[in-house]
Amino acid sequence: MEPYSFELPETLDFHSAESVYRPLQMLISGEKPPSAIVLDFKRVKSLDSAGAAVVDRLQKIAEQKNITLIRQNLAESISQTLQLFQLQEQQSTKKEEKPLFLEKVGDTGFSLLHSLGNLVLLLSNMMYWSFIAFFKPGLRRKDEVIHQSLNIGANALGIVGLISFLIGFVLALQSAAQLQLYGANIYVADLVALAMISEMGPLITAIMVAGRSGSAIAAEIATMQVSEEIDALKVMGIDPLPYLVVPKVYAITMTLPLLTMFANALGIMGGMLIGYTYLDIEILPFYNEVLSVLRYKEVFISLLKSFVFAWIIIVTGTYFGFKVKGGAEGVGRVTTASVVFSIFWVIVADSIIGLLFYFR
Amino acid sequence: MQTPIIEIKNLSSGYEEDVLILKDVNLTIYPNQITTILGTSGCGKTTLLKHLIGLLTPLEGELIVLGKNLAQIDENEMNSILRKMGVLFQNGALLNSISVAENIAIPLEQHTSLSKDLIEHLIRIKLELVGLSHAYHLLPSELSGGMRKRAALARALALDPQILFADEPSAGLDPVTTAALDHLLISLQKQLGMTVVVVTHEVNSIRRIADRVVYLDNGQILFSGTLDEALQSPLPQLQSFFS
Repeated sequence: MEPYSFELPETLDFHSAESVYRPLQMLISGEKPPSAIVLDFKRVKSLDSAGAAVVDRLQKIAEQKNITLIRQNLAESISQTLQLFQLQEQQSTKKEEKPLFLEKVGDTGFSLLHSLGNLVLLLSNMMYWSFIAFFKPGLRRKDEVIHQSLNIGANALGIVGLISFLIGFVLALQSAAQLQLYGANIYVADLVALAMISEMGPLITAIMVAGRSGSAIAAEIATMQVSEEIDALKVMGIDPLPYLVVPKVYAITMTLPLLTMFANALGIMGGMLIGYTYLDIEILPFYNEVLSVLRYKEVFISLLKSFVFAWIIIVTGTYFGFKVKGGAEGVGRVTTASVVFSIFWVIVADSIIGLLFYFR
Repeated sequence: MQTPIIEIKNLSSGYEEDVLILKDVNLTIYPNQITTILGTSGCGKTTLLKHLIGLLTPLEGELIVLGKNLAQIDENEMNSILRKMGVLFQNGALLNSISVAENIAIPLEQHTSLSKDLIEHLIRIKLELVGLSHAYHLLPSELSGGMRKRAALARALALDPQILFADEPSAGLDPVTTAALDHLLISLQKQLGMTVVVVTHEVNSIRRIADRVVYLDNGQILFSGTLDEALQSPLPQLQSFFS
């Protein structure tokens, strides 16, 4: 077959590169390519890296197809530019081997076991240091505990209170219509009180705190990790766990049950508002009905749940914070993962505690 | 007489008019040379660079880059000037969430209509140019400080800029890596015919790379001339800087 001749344009740069590359690339990769292609540089006056890349790339794919690429009428300056932007190293054609299915299962299983082991180790360390710090006030960093308590607890009062009030309000509103049918208006108080104290109060508070403070804990520790602040603490002979995490453990363990009680009260008040405005139940009978239905068991379960949830949030936040890899993107990833896992495990724990105390 | 590629006329800059970082700066930078802007810490070197790359707006004065007054051009014209500039930031400023190749691909994908395989080929060429052929698939976090700087240089060179700005390219690097990076800058400047503006206070680097030297002191240009003139200058600040 006759050699194919192609006259290159005056300027072969970022703008014109594609219009030269595409037809020649299609010609080379086509069904009946010529045995040789002549690239005529007669008109070429300027050539940049994109132009040089076109020539170099065409050369490489032509070689693969045993086609000769001839460069004709090449000026010295153009030749130098072509040489500068010529890819010396052969591109690797070796494909990465994909792991077998069983290998993937094994890898995932091993990775899960490894994570579980790390989590258990972290939990035991946190319990140990929290216990030790109880007897060694220096380890607790009193001011830091107060600061964290304000952050996790006091600053969340507004949003937790508002959400709980609305939850109680909606619960009462939805059940009121049904209860009215049976003339059982007063039982809306029982329903709201039991639902808020044993279920909704602890759960909603934990979800709010996981989103608000759990994410902040994970992001703070992860940022310190990527900016080598944790390493700086270690080389100063300071264990980051008691120094950074124990004050947060104390703060969340104290404030989450208090926040939960606050949420319970506000939720009941939301129900009370519906009872008063929609079902004509006076405030005092509603209050008396709430007290009559509540037992120590409900209050205990509410507190137990909030205590367990507090530990789930702090352990998850700390675990993901220390697990961070990479830079800013890594911090974002572990923060999101920490919130998702916290909420997931809070709901799992809620179901387990519910089964333990209410399943007959 | 050569036509200047950058002209700065009576430039003043600062956060408030009475707290000026740069005071009445006048400077001309000629093409195909390596100009180093030097001075002690806090003298306004990086601020001057940020003005040149359009990140800061001056309080007073004019900036003429590639024949265009930056204060009198619209966004499109500014973007077209920015496409002719490459900037090597102090810490590399690579996007950490994507690979080295993807970092270099950003300007190529955004500002050209090249096909995917041509872009890939061009990325390999640029990486080979800075000696990082093996780093194509690596993440910036997997590179050493010197390698990150070279990868950032490859990204800055992606569109064959007419002017390359480098902010403290040797900051945080060991003398061997610094020397290697300097030689790379010199050879690229010669081979590609670029104008290079380097902000630095590394004396050894300046001695190696500078064609021209600009000395900033307390926001004002104290000296502007060739490296030899700078080394022989009677100015006490320059003598103490190079001693």
